[in-house]
Amino acid sequence: MQRVATTESSLARWLIIATGLGFLGLFLIMPLLAVFTQALVKGFAAYTDAIFELDALTAIKLTLLIAGISVPLNIIFGLAASWAITKFSFPGKGLFVTLIDLPFSVSPVVSGLIYVLIFGAQGWLGPWLAEHGIRIIFAVPGMVLATVFVTFPFVARELIPLMTEQGREDEEAALSLGASGWQAFWSITLPNIRWGLLYGVLLCNARAMGEFGAVSVVSGHLRGETNTMPLHVEILYNEYNFVAAFAVASLLALLALVTLALKSVLEWRYDYSGRGSEH
Amino acid sequence: MSIRLENISKRFGTFPALHGLDLDIRPREFLALLGPSGSGKTTLLRIIAGLEFPDTGSVYFNEEDMTDLPIAQRHIGFVFQQYALFKHMTVADNIAFGLTVRKRRNRPAKQAIAARVKELLELVQLGDLGQRFPSQLSGGQRQRVALARALAVEPKLLLLDEPFGALDAKVRKDLRRWLRDLHERMGLTSIFVTHDQEEALELADRVVVMDHGLIEQVAPPREIYERPGSAFVFDFVGESNCLPVIVRDGKIRFRDIVLNVPPSAIIEDNAQLFFRPHDVIQIENADAALALKVAQSHLRNGYLRVEGHVDGLKRPIIIDLPPGATVRPRESVFFQPVRGQLFPAVEK
Repeated sequence: MQRVATTESSLARWLIIATGLGFLGLFLIMPLLAVFTQALVKGFAAYTDAIFELDALTAIKLTLLIAGISVPLNIIFGLAASWAITKFSFPGKGLFVTLIDLPFSVSPVVSGLIYVLIFGAQGWLGPWLAEHGIRIIFAVPGMVLATVFVTFPFVARELIPLMTEQGREDEEAALSLGASGWQAFWSITLPNIRWGLLYGVLLCNARAMGEFGAVSVVSGHLRGETNTMPLHVEILYNEYNFVAAFAVASLLALLALVTLALKSVLEWRYDYSGRGSEH
Repeated sequence: MSIRLENISKRFGTFPALHGLDLDIRPREFLALLGPSGSGKTTLLRIIAGLEFPDTGSVYFNEEDMTDLPIAQRHIGFVFQQYALFKHMTVADNIAFGLTVRKRRNRPAKQAIAARVKELLELVQLGDLGQRFPSQLSGGQRQRVALARALAVEPKLLLLDEPFGALDAKVRKDLRRWLRDLHERMGLTSIFVTHDQEEALELADRVVVMDHGLIEQVAPPREIYERPGSAFVFDFVGESNCLPVIVRDGKIRFRDIVLNVPPSAIIEDNAQLFFRPHDVIQIENADAALALKVAQSHLRNGYLRVEGHVDGLKRPIIIDLPPGATVRPRESVFFQPVRGQLFPAVEK
């Protein structure tokens, strides 16, 4: 073995590795295994029954619907925000960048409460909304709003450093060749940021599907109506229906695993294309 | 194409980049914007291109007011310092870009575009590299792709931002000649930005020397070197020495020594005399000469280059003596400038 100045004695080395792996096993792998074993403890039939049960299916559909609305919205917001921040200079830019991080620093429960305060029955807009028969709190629109708020930073956070590094020259070159702003965006900017964007979308989606706190506050927990998967898991668990709870939870765990795998692939691609473009 | 700039000013926040510049550029001219970094030369180029807009003043192309027109509508070719090639496109697609983004009714047919790309690849001597990606090319090749891409839209005006900055010395020299040649053959009007005086003097028909957002001088290269319009130009272009002198009764004195330089400007009292290292003669008589305490000497271009200090002057003095001259380190050499130029003394 090659000896380097920074090499520790072999005992110390093994100790450090063992501690790291032990931690990983205890806090990450064991719980993950527990989810799947608990879900399958009464056999595969019970597992599929729990998933194809009507309320569970509604929860899955609702989760997909909310993610399906909030992820595209945040792609647009994220692109617009990073475009504005990296390609233009305007007063208040620093404040804008800070505000993008707000959802990260605020507790999700508070994020949910904000919407209750604005749109709820006792909220600022509550009476007006009630008059016009529009339901936002304890209904899907409120849950979408809360999810959009919580997942807002993911795409923008991923794109801002990337677009800052790439600068404006490529777009300027496209414009100098007669392209319109729209053409420059589609044929130059978007291909330049595609891997970073996909990465951001992936993280955004994982969070949108897994969000508990903010959604819980505005959902009202109407079974079969306003329950997403994480909320459904909680209800089942509180009803001591452990197999069903873990079965639905296992789907979320699978989502996490798929996300992780895709993330690794993307990181590899990202890195690869990044290095390829260096001068 | 002729270009006229009138009273162009530009600020970035509180930093004034350009102060009311006027400049006329003649058709088919090859013009260099030369200056140190921060002199405003790149800003001026970007204003001509339409990548920046001036706070005051106007830009005319062939007497037509272009001031508010964005770059996409000015029909110019722009070559960026780092080339800004589109990484995800092949060389051929890069070159074709300016044609493929045209509206359908102005867009050439696919075969016509392909033929044009082939022609341009030949022109920049990259005949068979059309299917490569920019990352697979050398610096000089990328530079030529950037040029071909800019020329694809048949601009009358070609703007280049530090076109040779990122290349090594040998490639740079070759590309310079080639670019000058291309400029002639295509009947272009070209403007390039550089901080390299050698490049500007070798390549350009006229050189615009800029400093601190002002134009110091506009003249052909020889005139810039031989008759600098200001102390800054004398100092920035070529090597130079500076002596504080007093001018009285048509004579230039450095302390007690009368210098054998004819006064070139009507300046009385305090002034600065600038002279080139080769415009000196060695003198035996120590009383009528400046004493240069030698720090080091070496042969350079067939001359003996001597560097040292004159007592009481902060700035080192550089002189070139005939190769046979005897010079010993830490001893003094006596010399007199024989040619030079007077400029007003710097106000303290």
